[in-house]
Amino acid sequence: MLLLPMDLYSKDNSNSNIVVGANIGNVPWEFQDSDGSYIGFEVDLVSRVGEKLKRKIKIINIPFNGLFAAVQSGRIDLAISSINITDKRLESVSFTQPYYDSDQSLTVLNNSKIKNLYDLKGKIVAVDTGSTGDIWATENNEKYEFAEIRRYEGLVPAMLDLVIGRVAGYISDIPALLYYTKDKPNLAVVERISTGGTYSMMLRKNNSLLFEVNDVLIEMKSSGELNELHKKWFGKFAAKNSSTIKILDIPKSSGKLNLNLTETFLNKRVFLETYPMLIKGFYITIQLGLLSILLGLIWGLLLSLIRLYSNTLLRFVVKTYINVFRSIPLLVFLIIVFYAFPFVGIRFSPFNAALFSLVIVSGAYFAEIFRSGIEAIPKGQFEAAKALGLSPYHTMVDIILPQAIKIVIPPLTNNCINVLKDTALASIVALPDLLKQATQAQAIAANPTPLIVSAFIYLIFLLPMILWVSRIEKKYRSGKQL
Amino acid sequence: MSVLINLKNVSKHYGDFCAVKRIDLSIIEGEVLCIIGPSGSGKSTLIRCINYLEEYDDKGIITVNGITVKKGNNLKNIRKEVAMVFQNFNLFPHLNILKNVMLGPIRSLKVSQSSAKKLAYDLLGKVGIRDQANKFPYQLSGGQQQRVAIARALAMKPKVILFDEPTSSLDPEMVSEVLDVIKELAGTGVTMVIVTHEMSFARQVADKIIFMDEGIIVEEGSPDQIFDDSKKERTQIFLKSVLKA
Repeated sequence: MLLLPMDLYSKDNSNSNIVVGANIGNVPWEFQDSDGSYIGFEVDLVSRVGEKLKRKIKIINIPFNGLFAAVQSGRIDLAISSINITDKRLESVSFTQPYYDSDQSLTVLNNSKIKNLYDLKGKIVAVDTGSTGDIWATENNEKYEFAEIRRYEGLVPAMLDLVIGRVAGYISDIPALLYYTKDKPNLAVVERISTGGTYSMMLRKNNSLLFEVNDVLIEMKSSGELNELHKKWFGKFAAKNSSTIKILDIPKSSGKLNLNLTETFLNKRVFLETYPMLIKGFYITIQLGLLSILLGLIWGLLLSLIRLYSNTLLRFVVKTYINVFRSIPLLVFLIIVFYAFPFVGIRFSPFNAALFSLVIVSGAYFAEIFRSGIEAIPKGQFEAAKALGLSPYHTMVDIILPQAIKIVIPPLTNNCINVLKDTALASIVALPDLLKQATQAQAIAANPTPLIVSAFIYLIFLLPMILWVSRIEKKYRSGKQL
Repeated sequence: MSVLINLKNVSKHYGDFCAVKRIDLSIIEGEVLCIIGPSGSGKSTLIRCINYLEEYDDKGIITVNGITVKKGNNLKNIRKEVAMVFQNFNLFPHLNILKNVMLGPIRSLKVSQSSAKKLAYDLLGKVGIRDQANKFPYQLSGGQQQRVAIARALAMKPKVILFDEPTSSLDPEMVSEVLDVIKELAGTGVTMVIVTHEMSFARQVADKIIFMDEGIIVEEGSPDQIFDDSKKERTQIFLKSVLKA
């Protein structure tokens, strides 16, 4: 008990820290300077809030689409990250009065032919998962006929793909992009998209801190302090009628207050709204998973045969391959394939990058499983096949593999389950798989229900396989003749 | 009567150990040859050289039906002519009895499914287990399994069948059913080379007996010559010890 940190006892004590979640890297709102300390408009803002309330501010770095669940679960007290106030979000969380008027924008490569949104017809456009830009692009998809809306975890990976040429444009908040592109001549913000967003600080519903923080904002607006911050970060004062100057009401939810645990984590309305997205994601997960397994099995079998029966050099190469790819984390390899391969001219789509990585890595595991199965077959089987004049091919296909595969069905199935689970890593390269769709849905709805539902979908799909394997394993252990 | 199999100066080394030492031997078409001798004398190794399951040393040469037994394309043709029955049966456990017998003709002789099936049923009838055709090997007794293995060998319509201690893994009560099948084959004109520890069987079935010890042929001759009138002391000592048991 004595080892517990003090602030656990003093949860409601006004002297405790205010824990602030922020998507660090979101210029000029919250980012790192050269010595690694956090700076930015909103960082200054919350520091001022801390000073006025005489409470310490502790900032932790959380990806944008993770802020909603973090606020609702109480992991953080307050979220900043140029978060737009939307009606949907207001149903699940609270916002202080806004302090900045924003719009969306289209950023492209300076030398590209794309000069406005209509030029994006049939092109891939990048957005941040679950952001206002994402919501806008999704709503206007039919009008502008984008080939695909690709969803990234923040500005940096989206910019990487814009520069590589995997996406034609990036739709995101205009202040961030104006700030980001000002010292990058190869990039240009070519269009302002009037979405009329306003930024605010996000809190859990009915958190009393809301009113304290809002009072500080009123004070900073009337004293002109907020306008000074605007000058500091944007080089000029804010427009007279903007929410940086005007004192406004705390935004109110149009819907009823939903606060209990089930309403937060298994919200029926959110579920009904988002499950079509999840089904779409599940379809991609299944496609990727099954294709990876099929190709991984073939590739693994081929590797195991080379490993067992080819000449010394090839054997050494394959052995090295197997050891290397069993040592590299799949996620690391996937990021290399997706972001580094383009620099040597290999440019995979997100699906193909994920497929390639899964096949290459799972093939190494499959190869070892096949090898152990083949090596378990008695020498007499090979000799009997030889004595009948069977070719090496038919010896394998007719005699050895049917027996070997039967022995290794449990480990093979386990590896297949791993591949299916590992498909979730593909969301890191903007593939709209089940996990990606769930994170997007939860950011748009500002409610973690889609994540919980996606966990159930994985469970319903994988649990029968797991149970089946354990049954087979038990049968094998009981020594039943194969 | 022509020579079917010819061995000239055949040796087999495992590292420094010499299992078979400079063997010269001719086997005539239609002949039943039994090879006897103590364990470890090189009998099995010798017959496994004939279908090249063992690679014999380079300076020797084996020919079957005029074709040299060496690595390469000819090996497939050799193995069509030379069938083998193993001590441990080596049936394919994932295939039923019928398919065990059909596989060789279909894959190596390119026989059609239907004629392979007919052949398999005929041969299973010949070895007395036609009614077991749809069972799997593990459902059969050891003696039955070895009879399937003999049918599988016969399905290749070979010129010669090599038997590598065909009854050594069997329970005593099953030995005779297998030996009876082999005896019947002896009357059909197929050449057979049989490594065996069954002395009375060897005497009964063989046209010629070879006694091997420590990798060499100590003595060869007709069954009567070897069993009743051996010229070599090592043969006499061996026979005395096994016949007494």
